[in-house]
Amino acid sequence: MPFIFDRETKRKIDLLRLLTRKEITVKYKRTFLGILWSLLNPILLSLVLFIAFKIFMRIQMENYIFFFLSALFPWNWFAASVTMSTSTLIGNVNLIKRVRFPRHFLVLSTIMAQLVNFLFSLPIIIGLAYYYGNGPNISWFLTVPILIVIQLAVTIGICLAIAMVNAYFRDMEYIIGVGISMLFWMTPIIYPLNMVPESYRTYLALNPLTYLVTAWRSIFISNSTDWGAIGISLGSSLVFLLLGILVFQRLGKRLDEVI
Amino acid sequence: MNYIAEIVDVWKKFPLRRERPGFKEFVVNLPKFVKRKPNCNFWALKGLNFNVTKGECLGIIGKNGAGKSTLLSLLLGTIYPTRGDIKVSQKITPLLDLGAGFHPDLTGRENILINGVLLGLTRDEVLERMEDIIAFSEIGEFIDIPSRTYSSGMYLRLAFSIAVFTDPKLLLIDEILGVGDENFKKKSSDALIQLIKGGVTTIMVSHDLKSVKEICDRVIWLNGGKVEATGEPDKVVEAYLKGVGMYNITAN
Repeated sequence: MPFIFDRETKRKIDLLRLLTRKEITVKYKRTFLGILWSLLNPILLSLVLFIAFKIFMRIQMENYIFFFLSALFPWNWFAASVTMSTSTLIGNVNLIKRVRFPRHFLVLSTIMAQLVNFLFSLPIIIGLAYYYGNGPNISWFLTVPILIVIQLAVTIGICLAIAMVNAYFRDMEYIIGVGISMLFWMTPIIYPLNMVPESYRTYLALNPLTYLVTAWRSIFISNSTDWGAIGISLGSSLVFLLLGILVFQRLGKRLDEVI
Repeated sequence: MNYIAEIVDVWKKFPLRRERPGFKEFVVNLPKFVKRKPNCNFWALKGLNFNVTKGECLGIIGKNGAGKSTLLSLLLGTIYPTRGDIKVSQKITPLLDLGAGFHPDLTGRENILINGVLLGLTRDEVLERMEDIIAFSEIGEFIDIPSRTYSSGMYLRLAFSIAVFTDPKLLLIDEILGVGDENFKKKSSDALIQLIKGGVTTIMVSHDLKSVKEICDRVIWLNGGKVEATGEPDKVVEAYLKGVGMYNITAN
């Protein structure tokens, strides 16, 4: 047997899985297409981007759609998790006040549900990789999981802090709304990092997503593992994770008084 | 002694401030904010000390606002004491606000699964008990329909059944002894009393003094956040009734 968990650990894993599944089922519960929307969304998005950039704007960059989407899908996972987790704590008052369970599971399950969503967009990335090149190779099996773990860490850190702070200071929700769209333009998603003037790149490095997105892009487009970018984003993701846990624990003690 | 819960000098304070001022009020009343008023606080619990022995049923009585529900929340662990220490060495099954973890869009079955795990079982353990829970709740064919279509009685019956079937080790009860119509109320309170008499440690808050006397082994009377009296149910209930000036009315 590969893993033997004690009962309490097993229960925690069950709980996280069920909460994640609940996120997903509840989201699509009363729709006709259900989980298919997770696949349909990125397909429609790619289609409209193709029309806008290839037919209307005729951007000169090579494979621009693939270039754009290879960064956009990971970004969407991050952005949706952050936006949704602002309200996970204040939206589950009943649960928090009446049931004892690890409260960070509410945030984690939101992020995991969005991860599932992200995995649904991988087939499209793979399709584009075949269309524009030779398709994925063996290095994906190593690099994609590594990048998922790094992105999980940074997303968890940021979401934990935001969810908790929003309980005390409800303006957070609006700050995040504006902040996320500002961050989108400050991350090399629609433009490559090497287009940014040298002197500004140090500032961009403060954004934990800059090198993460760059690493996603190099594995998706050129099958290459950018260890430099991975190293930088691993470092910053750990810092964000620790800060997030710290904020969550510190403010969590008085959560019942403000919620 | 074999204590299940130890409550050592527990104090709980709630800030009693008005709505936090927004930006507009801040600008308009700027001069006033310069001299800050001291924060008002409400002490819901003022230095509680008691232990809960394995297997006993402890009743907690007192007027509204005496701190009974705050005490239960502290024991449950959803709020933290301002000062003092609470040690609970058992899995807690709360019967406080039934159906807190229910999602209206999930079916009865899905809600059983998620709430069973929230109450301390593993997924496999809930699946084993699934049919027993459904049978006890008398929900019947509605079990595979989203819970939002349930009547409030069905909702409570299902939530109660889950709680009873999760192997409670320490039960926290806030007024809820039975739910539903007359038949189900009897069935559910019988099941609960059977658990309590069978040795499940129980802490029970109730205004129903008759049941408190019948079920509990020991009673604590809370008054203004402090323990006013503790001991034999008959004596404490009598003292409580005298204390609130109700003794003569019930005696007649």
